[in-house]
This record gives sequence, structure tokens and C-alpha cells, in this order.
Amino acid sequence: MIKVVGLKKNYGRVEALKSISFEVEKGSVFGFIGRNGAGKTTTMNILTGLIRFNGGKILIKGKDFQENKQELLKSIGYLPETPTFYDYMNAYEYLRFIGEIIGYEGKNIGKLLEMVKLAKQKKKRIGAYSRGMKQRLALAVAFMGSPEILFLDEPASALDPEGRMEMLELIEGLKDEKITIFLSTHILNDAERVCNKICIIDEGKILLNENLSQLYKSYIQPIFDIEFEEEPASKIDLLKKLKWIENIKENGRKISIYVKNIDYAKREALKEISKLDINVVSYQIRKSTLEDIFMRMVKQK
Amino acid sequence: MNSFKAYFKKEIIEAIRTYKYLVLFIGIIFWPAMLSPMMLKLLPLLLKNYMPPETMSLFADFTRDYAFQSFLNDSFQFGIFFIALGLMGLIANEVRLQRLVFPYSRGANPAGIVIAKYIHYAVTISLFTLIAFLIDYLYVDRLFTGGILTLIIVLKSSLLYILYYCTIFSVLLYFSSLFKRGLAAGFMVVILAFSLSILNQFETVRMYLPNYLILKAADIVHVFDNTLFPTVIISICLIILFVFLSILRMKKIDVA
Repeated sequence: MIKVVGLKKNYGRVEALKSISFEVEKGSVFGFIGRNGAGKTTTMNILTGLIRFNGGKILIKGKDFQENKQELLKSIGYLPETPTFYDYMNAYEYLRFIGEIIGYEGKNIGKLLEMVKLAKQKKKRIGAYSRGMKQRLALAVAFMGSPEILFLDEPASALDPEGRMEMLELIEGLKDEKITIFLSTHILNDAERVCNKICIIDEGKILLNENLSQLYKSYIQPIFDIEFEEEPASKIDLLKKLKWIENIKENGRKISIYVKNIDYAKREALKEISKLDINVVSYQIRKSTLEDIFMRMVKQK
Repeated sequence: MNSFKAYFKKEIIEAIRTYKYLVLFIGIIFWPAMLSPMMLKLLPLLLKNYMPPETMSLFADFTRDYAFQSFLNDSFQFGIFFIALGLMGLIANEVRLQRLVFPYSRGANPAGIVIAKYIHYAVTISLFTLIAFLIDYLYVDRLFTGGILTLIIVLKSSLLYILYYCTIFSVLLYFSSLFKRGLAAGFMVVILAFSLSILNQFETVRMYLPNYLILKAADIVHVFDNTLFPTVIISICLIILFVFLSILRMKKIDVA
């Protein structure tokens, strides 16, 4: 759906994007993660036609973005981090204004306002709206005309916890409707919940670009956490002698086994633990969260 | 066409709610066409007890022609100030306040935006100018006597002023797309308009500059003559050029 090859953007002498490449599949939720100033919003602004770029190629729906910009933008919706409107207009007038640009029928505006829970405030001037209300109006603008691709830049940043949950549910719903979503966020829990693919960007470079399931597999930590019914005491020494075990940390009834080869350990660990003859309460391979992976990637760099 | 229609309607709403129509009404109609003739008429009455009779006799020479020329002079000065400073942020503010983010991200056509802005305010300025000239003629005809002023002369003069204002407005629109702060565009246009007036003293060049329209509008004996031909052609070309340059600029500008 979206293919970016060697994208470059300079602000004077500063290289904001250093030849980044990635691909977004149709109907997927693409999580674009990075620290502040990493280049997330710059990338989104380029892909939504708001700013120019210095090099590279962008293909959207197989068409060159620069050559077919006007046409392609009709099928794109964008929710910027800080949306700005004409404050003297009300929500209904603003949606009619945008609707007229994209050829959206005015009779559907009411439904759109209901969807974002602004139907009651539709005659109130936008200048008097709270940040959350503006964010919801921006969402209505982004959804207008059922775009095939949605760019969401920190969509939940201005919302209260309830609004944030609603936003995530909405994104999950859109996933089912096969809408391609390009989600920029630094709330990693949100990305973990809704994204199929994760792309980590830092200082204008792509550090990682992988499917979420594959990512967990690749970045699984070689640690087994085991809890016994009673303290294992000296019985642990039996495990320490095994060649595939690197280290064991003891904490009362709980132990953490650090292994050299995770695949081998997955096969052998249970057998060896059963030899200890102590009742096991819980056994699990420690999972990396997206936050762990993100921190590891950024530190490694 | 969609962007043009959307922006044309938006400009009307904006002009009403942000008092742009009011600003233009004061600068083009109220001050020069309604207030100035009254002041001109009342001035001798207000000053008669404080001025020597010889000076007072100068006021007796106020004819309809003089009053109209006085209106033209005020019209030029107030009109330029109010148009430039009232409309200086038309594009600059849209870009600086990132109000084009949604329209551009949904595929708005920059040409439609610029043309809608230009046509809307060119029509507004033209209508206000025509109304101002008609109101002034009404006042001048009632309050003063003598002279050769007719409605036809007034209408001819108003056409020249309309063309002049439309030319200046196209320059303003372009400057507004160049600068992030509208104030810079406004002041540059004011300085340009007054500087060009100085060139009206040079017969060889003046007919190639838009400010010659102002000079001819005040020449009530021969408002329209052959010398205007190059000025009109050049003014129309300048309008097309500056609107085109504004579109070009808006196509290449970063709006976020």
C-alpha cells in the first residue's frame, strides 16, 4: 500500500531523515515508534503532502506520490498531533468546508459528528473547544470520506483515559475494515495492542522494522522464571552444573535461570526441573515488552 | 473547482466573523466617501471665527470638482492603508498558524485556494469602491456647486481605482505568501504604493506603472484617453503574474 525508498529530508544542514525505507501492507496497522525529534512527524508530513522532501521515492497504491499527489491525497486521512482549525467556524461548518474540498456529501456530516460525540456541540465555535474536543473533531476530518489510508500522529495524546481506550477500540475496528493505518506514537502499550508491524526510528534512521509476532520471537529474553512451592535451597546446585545454563539468580521460592541457548533450554528445562523433586507453582519464559525492545534498540545504536 | 468553491464560501464567513468587511467599509467607503466631504463642507463653518477673511476666501473656491478630487486623494491614502493592513495576513496567517494542514492533507488544490481568495476580495474591493464613488458623488452634488463633474466621470474614475486596487491587492497576496508575518507584506505594499506615486512626476515612465491610473482618475477633464492603454494592459498583466506567482508559491510551500 505504501512503499518508501531512500527518503531524505533536510532542514538546512540538519538531516531529519537519513534515507529511510519501509513498506506498509494493505489493511495493516503500522506502528511508527520513536523518541521526540526522531523524525516521525516529518515522515508523516511528507507522506500526507504537507512538506517536500529532498530525496527518495514514495509509492502509494503503486503510484508515484509526487506525480499523483492530488489524486492520492483524496484517499488519505490525516490526524495531526496538534490539529488547527478556523476558530471562528463551528464543527459543522468546518466539516462542510473540508467535505466540499473532497466532494463529501453534506448529509453525512451529522453521522460523523455523532461518531466523534460532537453532535451536541456542533454549533459551538471551535475556538471554545477543549483540546480533547478538537482532537475528536480532527478525527472526524481524518475519517471523512472513508479513506483507504489513515495517518494518525499521536492520536491519544490529548485524550483522557476513557477517550484513549475508545480511540484504541476504534483503531482495532478499522483494522477489521481493512483500512491501512500508519500510527505514530510513543505510548508503547498502545502500539503493542493494535499494531501488526513495528518500525522504530531514531535520529532519522530506521532501527528496526518487523512484524510484532516476529519481533517478540527475535527479542525474547533467554531467561526462565520459576516459582516453587518451597525454597529450593541446595537443590539448585544440580542445575548450576548444567552446561547450557549460564547463571541462576535466587530469590526465596523464586529462581531465574539465564540460559545460553533458548531453543535447547526450551526442550531441556522442564526435564531438569522435574528432577529436583520440588513442586512447581509457575514456570514461564520471560517475555520482552515493546518497551524493552525499544530501549534495547536505542541503547544498542 | 471543489477547493475554489470551498474557499470562496470560507472567505465570506471569515470576512464577516473577523470583521474584514467592516475594515474595508471604513477604509474605502466610510472615511473617504462619507466623512471627508462632510468635513470639507463643515471646515469653513468651523474655522470662520478663527481665520482671517483672506484665508477664508480660499474656502469659497470649493467646487464639486475640487471636492471630488479631495475624495480621490483621501480614497487613495485610506484605501491603500486599510486594504494592505486589513488583508495582509490572507495567506501568511494560514501558513503560520498551520490552518492549511487539513485542507492540504485532503488534497486541496492550491490554485483553487489562491484564486478563491483573490476573486472574493477583488469583487469585494470593487463593489465597495463603486459604492464609495457613488456615495461621494451624491454628497458632492448636494453639498457643493460649480465644476464639470458628472456621474459618467465619477464612474470612469471608479473603474480606474478598481483596477488599481485589484493590482495592488494581487501584489499583497503574493507578498503574503512570501512572508510568514502578514505585517511585513502589508508594510511592503504600503511603501511600494506610495513610492510608485512619486514616479508619476516622470512623464516618460508613469504610463507604464499602475499608479498612473490614480493620476488619470483625478484628471476629470480627460479621464479616459489613449495614454491609459499601456497602463491598463500592464496592470492586468501584473494581476495575472502575481496571482500566478502566488499559486506557484503555494504549490511549493511547506504548510506544516
